[in-house]
Amino acid sequence: MLFDNWLNDDSKIILFDGGMGTEIFKRGIKLGKLPDLLNIEEPQVISEIHKAYYDAGSNMVQTNTFGSSYLNLQNYKLEDRINEINEKAIENIRVSCPNGALVVGDIGPSGHYRPPVGKITPEEWFQSYVKQVEILEKGVDLWHVETISDIEEMKATLEAIKKVSSKPIISSMTYKKTKRGFFTIMGDSLEKCITIQESYKVSVIGSNCTLGSFDMIDLLKDMKKITSLPISIKPNAGKPRLDLGGQTHYDQSIEEFADHIHKMIDLGVKIVGGCCGTSPKTIYEIKKIIKSISRS
Amino acid sequence: MTLEQFYKEISDAIVELNKEKAISLANRAIEEDLVLLDVIEKGFGDGIRRIGDLWEEGEFFLPELMLGGTIMQESLEILLPHLKKQGEQVSSGIVVIATIEGDIHSIGKTIVATMLSANGFEVYDLGADTSAEKIIETAIKKHADIIGVSALLTTTMFGQKKVIELLESKGMRDNFKVILGGAPVTPSWVEESGADGYADNAVEAVKLVKKLINK
Repeated sequence: MLFDNWLNDDSKIILFDGGMGTEIFKRGIKLGKLPDLLNIEEPQVISEIHKAYYDAGSNMVQTNTFGSSYLNLQNYKLEDRINEINEKAIENIRVSCPNGALVVGDIGPSGHYRPPVGKITPEEWFQSYVKQVEILEKGVDLWHVETISDIEEMKATLEAIKKVSSKPIISSMTYKKTKRGFFTIMGDSLEKCITIQESYKVSVIGSNCTLGSFDMIDLLKDMKKITSLPISIKPNAGKPRLDLGGQTHYDQSIEEFADHIHKMIDLGVKIVGGCCGTSPKTIYEIKKIIKSISRS
Repeated sequence: MTLEQFYKEISDAIVELNKEKAISLANRAIEEDLVLLDVIEKGFGDGIRRIGDLWEEGEFFLPELMLGGTIMQESLEILLPHLKKQGEQVSSGIVVIATIEGDIHSIGKTIVATMLSANGFEVYDLGADTSAEKIIETAIKKHADIIGVSALLTTTMFGQKKVIELLESKGMRDNFKVILGGAPVTPSWVEESGADGYADNAVEAVKLVKKLINK
């Protein structure tokens, strides 16, 4: 399939999408408790944002389902609407996806931690993700598991996807930078996380969120030492700043962010995009870089 | 064994996350009628501070922080009734803490609350999705020194400012120090919202609260 062709084409840099939250804001929508609910309440806005990313040059864009696993919906007392929210997410993105581009099923963290931090069990994680994956399976081309901060939760997620689907998986965890290197907040090293992710036969190893584009360059260097699988990177665009009118701004310039992405492409990253604070403008800027590289 | 060695043993038990040992040492301190304030400060307190240092060094992570905090809390629960018999006050200060209305993210706030209790503060944790009114009401009732307001989302962050505005409108802004927490909080937001400070993580939060209370 198309995604595998891209992976096998050494000259291809795959352009992913950027953030969702700030885009919703820009369109004057007052965010309720869960952005995923807008799949139902403001479907045209969500479709428009997806389209803006495809138009900016994204080869693939992910569904607005980051928080739509059973456990996370339960946090908002929305678990009864799991079918509706995930099904509408597919409809909203399918109408925006042009020929030759792909739809990625987005799976985010449950918001629950295992002991001693929280009380969740691996089985509860697994069941929760199976429910979401079963609904999304018919409408997506591949998977992106992202922002997972516990390798145990990642294992449960990957087991859930493998149970239901045989589509490719991008497996992205979120790391913090410590004096001893990159670790999850639960204390698992980058090496441990990657080795376990590889054992699940994922197609791509990734990282997103927490770190900005500058720190992600170092993370990528470390990742390259550990894995020979393709790597996906979606950094944050610095820290958000809220003005007195309640509008969110990100202080890092798009040019600086894109420049860091350029460095990562030089280091051999396969898939690039952005996380919190990035926009279709960011993606367009990266698109220009990718174009200039393929010309030379 | 000298007293210093005994304190060191307690501190080590906390750092080794050895609950049974920590509890048994707490009981031994009571049986031997030691000055419990010293036992808490030089033994248990030292251990929890070392856990904070190990977090900063990247040696300890969330599980160790939570486990250490919980062992500390359980040990304090054993010691506190006896401490009162010795006529001592242990509370370093009173903190009311909550995640703001509209935001259900509670884990960071819970960790901060655990670490504050472990450091001897009297903590009232109101949970997640809590209104500014309720936070202030509780702070007044409990004679709090510090109000801690957490928000993970840029969309709910505005509620942190609401707490401060509400305090101002009641003419009570100077009665409490207000601190903010949550991933999107920055120094500029602290300034814009008129808060007294923020911390990036639970270990920093303990330092901040200590600093504000001693002001």
